[in-house]
This record gives sequence, C-alpha cells and structure tokens, in this order.
Amino acid sequence: MSRVELRVNGVATSREVDDRTLLVELLRGELGLTGTHVGCDTSQCGACTVKLDGAAVKSCTVLAAQASGGEVLTVEGLSTPQQLGEVPAAFVACHGLQCGFCTPGMMMAIDYYLDTDGSLDDERIHRALEGNICRCTGYVNIIEAVKHAARARAEAGKPVGRQHG
Amino acid sequence: MDSRLVGQPRPRAEDQRLVRGQGRYTDDVNLPGQAYGAFVRSTHAHAIIRGIDIEAAAQAPGVIAVLRGQDYLDDGLRGMDHIPNPADAIAFKERAFQHSLTGSIFNQRHLPLVVDRVRHVGEPVVLVVARSMREARDACEMVQIDYEPLPAVVDAVQAMEDGAPQLWDGAPRNLCFQARVGDEAAVREAFARAHCVVRREFRNSRVVNCQMEPRSALGSFDASSGEYLLISGSQGVTRQQMCIADALGISPAKLRVVSPDVGGGFGPRSCVNPDQLAVLWAARRVGQPVKWTSDRNEAFLSDYQGRDQVIRAAIAFDAQGRILGIDNEIIGNIGAHTVSYVPLANGSRIMTTVYHVPAATALLSAVLTNTPPTGPYRGAGRPEATHVMERMLDIAADEMGMDRIELRRRNLIQPAQMPYRSPMGLTYDSGSFAANMERALVVSQWSEAEQRKRDARARGKLLGTGLANYVESPVGAPRERIEITIGTDGSVDFVVGTQSTGQGHETSFVQVLADELGVPFEAVTMRTGDSRFVKVGGGSHSDRSMRLVGHLLVQAGERLRSTALSAAASMWGLQVQDLCYEDGRVRDQAGQHVAGLGEIAAHIGREGMPGNPEERRFFAEAEFNGRIAAHPTGTAVCELEIDPETGDVEIVRYTSIDDVGRPINPLIVEGQVHGGLAQGIGQAFFEDYHVDPESGQIFSGSYMDYGVARAGAIPRRFDVELTEDRTHGNALGVKGGGESGITPATAAIFNALADALSGITREELPMPATPAAIWSAIQRAQGVQP
Repeated sequence: MSRVELRVNGVATSREVDDRTLLVELLRGELGLTGTHVGCDTSQCGACTVKLDGAAVKSCTVLAAQASGGEVLTVEGLSTPQQLGEVPAAFVACHGLQCGFCTPGMMMAIDYYLDTDGSLDDERIHRALEGNICRCTGYVNIIEAVKHAARARAEAGKPVGRQHG
Repeated sequence: MDSRLVGQPRPRAEDQRLVRGQGRYTDDVNLPGQAYGAFVRSTHAHAIIRGIDIEAAAQAPGVIAVLRGQDYLDDGLRGMDHIPNPADAIAFKERAFQHSLTGSIFNQRHLPLVVDRVRHVGEPVVLVVARSMREARDACEMVQIDYEPLPAVVDAVQAMEDGAPQLWDGAPRNLCFQARVGDEAAVREAFARAHCVVRREFRNSRVVNCQMEPRSALGSFDASSGEYLLISGSQGVTRQQMCIADALGISPAKLRVVSPDVGGGFGPRSCVNPDQLAVLWAARRVGQPVKWTSDRNEAFLSDYQGRDQVIRAAIAFDAQGRILGIDNEIIGNIGAHTVSYVPLANGSRIMTTVYHVPAATALLSAVLTNTPPTGPYRGAGRPEATHVMERMLDIAADEMGMDRIELRRRNLIQPAQMPYRSPMGLTYDSGSFAANMERALVVSQWSEAEQRKRDARARGKLLGTGLANYVESPVGAPRERIEITIGTDGSVDFVVGTQSTGQGHETSFVQVLADELGVPFEAVTMRTGDSRFVKVGGGSHSDRSMRLVGHLLVQAGERLRSTALSAAASMWGLQVQDLCYEDGRVRDQAGQHVAGLGEIAAHIGREGMPGNPEERRFFAEAEFNGRIAAHPTGTAVCELEIDPETGDVEIVRYTSIDDVGRPINPLIVEGQVHGGLAQGIGQAFFEDYHVDPESGQIFSGSYMDYGVARAGAIPRRFDVELTEDRTHGNALGVKGGGESGITPATAAIFNALADALSGITREELPMPATPAAIWSAIQRAQGVQP
C-alpha cells in the first residue's frame, strides 16, 4: 500500500492505495471525479489526460503513488459552477463535442497547449492533438475551439504560450 | 408554427454538463454492494472446449463466483435472438428477406458464454465475479481452458467454398441465407444488348466501431420483486429490454434498462452484446450487482464490427453511356454469430443510388466466419453500395473514353422523374441530384483542377480529384412514440424512445417542440434512456431520430394547442373560435382573458381534459409505425495529393453538398457531416481489422495497431454546404443528417486516388489505401517488384 498526497483542483487530499493504483483510478474511484475517462489501455486515446504539475499527462499511465506530492488539474477544475473556463466555453460555442467522452481529456490537452504554445497554426494544433482521439467530431470543430479559446484567453489578458511545462 | 428556434445553429444544451465533466456514462455509475465481473475470452478462432478448470480461480482472493456457459444453461436460460433479418424498407411489417436459395434463413441464438465450441478470438467463455475489478482480472488468469483447435476460416468468399471449415449446423457452406433480389431476367436482357459491360470486384474492409466509451454494463437483481436492472449504454433501451427479457424468459416489465450518457454509437450499439446479458444473470446468481467495463483490447475483440463485404459488380451501358442494367453480387461477412443482416438489406435496396437504372438485380450471400460478429456500422450498406457505384462510373468513363462527370449527367435521375421508383423498389419523393452535383463542381472549383494538377506535379506531387453522388434510404426501426406532459408551472416534459449517442437530441428536439408550443427553449425538458418511462421506441440509427420524432412532435404540438384552446374555452365559458393560441398562451379576441400553459394545466388538473374528464394531466402522445419517405442525398468532392516517393496522401480539399431536408440545427448537422467524413477517411486510409487468414488471430487489437483518423488527417480545407429540397414525407420536411458525411466518403476518396494515379496505374487500390499499398502499386506499374 502507498500513501498518496495530492492537491486535486486546489483541494488537498490524502489516500492509502494499493501500490498498482493508477492516477486515473484514484481520481475516478477514490475521489469520485468521473469527468476523467478511460478510453484505451495503451496510452493512445488521451481520454484520461489531466494536468500534473502543469504538464498534460495520461493519467492511465501514471501510478497514483508517482503523482504523490503533485498538483493535479482535471476537467472538473476548468470551470466554476457559475462560469465555464475558456476551453470548455469554446467547445460549447464551436460544437467541439458530440458524445462528450473524449472531451475532458481533449480539453486538458488543449489547456496545456494554450499554456505552452497557443499558436493558431493548424499544423501545430494537429501536433498538439496527436495523442487524443475523437470518433465523433472529425476534429474540425475541435480545432476551431482551440483557436476560439486561444483568442478568449488573450482577450482576458491571461498568458498564452508562456508557461513551459 | 413559427420558427424561432428551428433552423438556428444553437449551441447544445447537453454540453453544459459534458464539458464540466458531469456527464454520466455507464462506468461512472455504481450501485451499493456491487461486485465486478471480468471475462476469460477465447484465444482461438475456432476450437472445441474439452474442459474448463476453474478450481484455482474459484479459490483466488476476492472471488465470489466463476461462471461458465453450462451454468447458464443449467439455469434453464437460452441465448439471445438478435432478429438479424430487419424490417423491410417498404413492407415494414415483413422481414427484409423472405426466402433463401439455400432453403431457409439461418438464425442462431447467442449465448452469453460459450458452452462447447468457440468460434472467434475474443468470444467470452468464463465470467469471474469478484469483490474488485483487479481481483476479477487476476482470477481470470487462473482459469484453465482445454481447447482442441479446429481449422478456422475468416474470409467470407473462402467460407462459402466446398471443404471450408463449418461454423454452425444448419448453415451449410456457412450461408445464413442467399437471396436473389431485383429482376434477373430483365438484367439478362439488358446485358445482351449492351454496347459495353464493365466488371470489377471490390472488397470493402472490416472496420471496428471504436466509439470512445468502452462498453460497460452494470446489472442487478432484486429477489423480493423479481426485477432486474441493467445500466448500460446503447442506441435505444427498448430493443435491449425486449431481447434480454426474451433470453432470461421473463416479461419485459421485469427488466428495467437504463442507458445514461452514451459515448458514441455508430450502429453496433443498437444490438445487444452477450456481456450485457451475462452481468444480469450473474447478478442474480451472486445476489449482488455486477459491473463490467470493457478495456480497449477487449473492445477490439468483442464489439460488433462493420462493413466487410465483397461486391462483384457489373454494369451494362449503351453506346451513349446510358446505364442499361446492373448485376451485383454482394457477399457479406456476418462473423461468428447471426447478429445483423441489415447491411445486406440496405446495400441491395440502394445499389442503383441516384442514377436511372432500368433493370437491376443482386445476389446476396450472408456468410458466417470465425471473426467477431458484424452489425450495422454508420451507413450500414449504403457507403458500400455508393463506393461501388461511383467507382464503377469512373472506371466505365475511363474505359469508354468519356468524361466522368458527363457520364453521370447522362444517367442522373432528373427532377421531372420524381417521384422515382428505383428498380429495387424504393420511391424517391424528392432530391435535386443533378443540381447537387453541379453545385459541388462549382464549390470545389472542379473545372480548374487541371491547373492544380500541373502545379502539384511541379512540386513532385500527384493531385487527383474524385466525386461521388449519394442517396440514402429511410429504414431503421419503424415504430416510435412520444409523450408530452405540461406541468402547472408551465414546464414541458417529453419522453421519447430514441437515444442520443452524441447527436444532441436534448437540443434539436427541444428546438422543435418549443417552437410548436411557442414556449422558451428552457421550458422544455427531454427524457429518454430508461425503460421505466420509455415504453415504445426504436432507438437512434439509420437517420431515423429527427425524421420520426420531428414528425411526432409536430402532431403532438397540434394536439396540445388544440387542447389548450378547448380547456381555456371551458375555463372562460367562451367558444374555441373566439380564442387564439400565440406564444405559449391562449387569449380571447376581446382581450379580456389570457392564460399560459401552466394555468391551463392547473385547470385540467381540476376539471380534467376536455372530453376526457378522467384524464387530469395536460398531456398528449403521438405514435407512428411505418415508413416516412426521406432520402438524404448529396455530392462529395475530394481533392488529394499523393507523394509518389512515399505513397503518403494528403487531402487538400473536400467539398460536401448535403441535402438533409430541413436542417433543424445546422451546427449539429454540419458536425455530423464532419464526423462521418472522418470515419470515411479512417476506412479509406487507415482502418484495417487485420486477421491472420490461417489462425484467425487478430493483428490489430489496439489503437497502436488499428489506425483511426487523428486531427492531422482531416482535410486542409473542408467546405460543407447544406442544400434543401424539402421532402413532403413528414411534417418538418426532414430527411436526416447522421450518415451524409460517411456515405460518399470512401467513394470520393478512392475516385480521387485513382485519378491521381491514372497516369501511372489503373490497378484498383485495396482498402485501406495505406501509403505502403499506394507506393507498391506505383512500383508494380513501373515494373519494380515491391
């Protein structure tokens, strides 16, 4: 068993877990944060993407114990009950989701892209989304949402592309 | 009524929860005291089970039960009847296939666990139930199954041959059925007087559904009431309820099925999977709820798959390039269980697509093989038929030395021919086929493509353009029902038997009903996905949802307005003709009285419905059982560049002209086109469920081996235009938009590939046309053995 201490969406938590518990299992199971999804078992689909200490990681490929001491941001932390964050708001405005299953991971990968790059160049966006599969949207509107969110962040005076994770 | 909301590209209501991570998919749901299930799946494509040793697994930590197929039979239960033979496209009360040249139509019940003989890799053999998922999976490793391997056959054409391994008694030559459709004699006569006959064979590859949500099922049983509960994503709860209740030998009323948010459907999730039945049975056995969630590897082995047809096509032309007749043979790979004959039914009905074909026939074969079962996958036979028709026209134009667009112009069904009855019996009520094609040529700048080809050549690239016309058929489950109740607070609640798997029904249906009643969008709530209140309904597939539900919403809306007027008349002691309904209110001409829907509901609560005082709810229902004419149609143009040094392809431009009838929410409709195209791109270039022909082992069991389109695969430029030649077949003029992107996609892409390579080779590329396949074809044409 391992003791795991994390800050998740700003809240400190501590759990005793089986050594082989994955970060995503801790989030979904122990913490009840079911917004983060599991879509594959080979780190290919990106549905489980969260931010760990500012970097986008696939939480199905990180042991909970490895993440101990870290700061985790999940989809639940992107918005407040009153207001959607820039990326979720852009997904709604651009119809960037259909079934919504890949969406949380997709949005976390994009949030990281906006932190570290934020360019509106299609090829750079494609590369940023290479690790996230969507079967519904054909990506067209997701790419629109990336650009929409980048502009919204810039307009809100928040940093785009300055933080290097 | 007025259209304040219908036609608006309104962002979706459901998104508010989904982008917050508050969606509720099956695996997000837990029941108190639940145990976890894990399956031991067959490692052989075909083998006799000599024995199953469960001793060690049963002793493993946390294990509650280790269940075998024999245990299921010992409980007196039977397998599921998938009713693979669908309702006919025209005579909807009959099955699509009535006769088989083999004498009978084969249908085998599908057990939740294999008893004595496995027939594909991944078939479930043992279910381990344990306290935790990890303990269940660990114990699966301890189950010993003694297999006696048998020869396997995975290819449908080979499976029909003499001496091929046989899957099921009752299906000689592995044929579920073989049917001749159309007018064979007329076709023979047409071919006899043909100027030119073109023949080709096409292999439409097998694809995996790959919806992003791995399937999951949570079953429970209440011993005191004898009621089962299944929580599991699907494309409609009613079919799941009927099928599973039949297998368990219970009344459907004793089984509640709930499909919460569903992470993608695409066709196969209309059907019931063995694991959904298994968890319910197991829950009863162990006396606690049992939850199972597929991992992705399991999904590749056990989700129902799509396509996998061989089509041998022949078209006869006269000297002017007019089609005289079509003679196709369609061989469908059904897989190891009889889940669905839908693709064969759809594909043969629609095979003449948008062209005037005087005579047509097809020989259809449904063939069992040692592969996972196939089912309807987005388009379900129509993309396969469109691919063949459009490739054949390009090939014929090439052989006859004609322009490929001109050849189409000579054969397209003209508006003056509407309503048009196809030789396969479909009646097209509307569709501007020629205008759609001409529009696509303009938008795609087709006439300047030669210049772009020269420019590309200067850059060392081979540029090709391809066009495909398509039309779809209005099939699917014929029956649908809605129920609408208006509360005393003016809230509108409606229940419907379709199931959104991403199509945004909570938005588009509400747009329709809010307009019908003249109330704000926010006043209306849609409920679906729970058989406790959904009593009738066909689910979502085949473009049926808005086509049927829109029609019913208009009918029910009329009834509610009429009820409101009658109730208000009685409330105020006035005549109905003195009142009018406007903006969700009834008022009298004199301006003395006004009442909102909530006040009217309160009046009905006290006095009862006009003419029916026993009914105290302000309520309307509408039900339909039949076929509504609606043929979504359009044209796609693909422009791509091949790098001849590597075989790599980039789609530089894609144009999609789609007549979905009246678009209720253009944002959603265009999203459907985008998504369909991405699946078409996937099948055209990457997706290949590769099975070893000898062993039946699967080489593409994960996203590392099976390619789905990623963001970089979408066209550099993508123009979607919605045109509208409104159908009169339903009240809203809706045709449907769910399959418009995918239906012409592989056809347009393969026509573009052939065009790009036309200076080098005329070899028909395999599907998927991977860079290796393209590069090899180029090498062969240049006399190099790749």
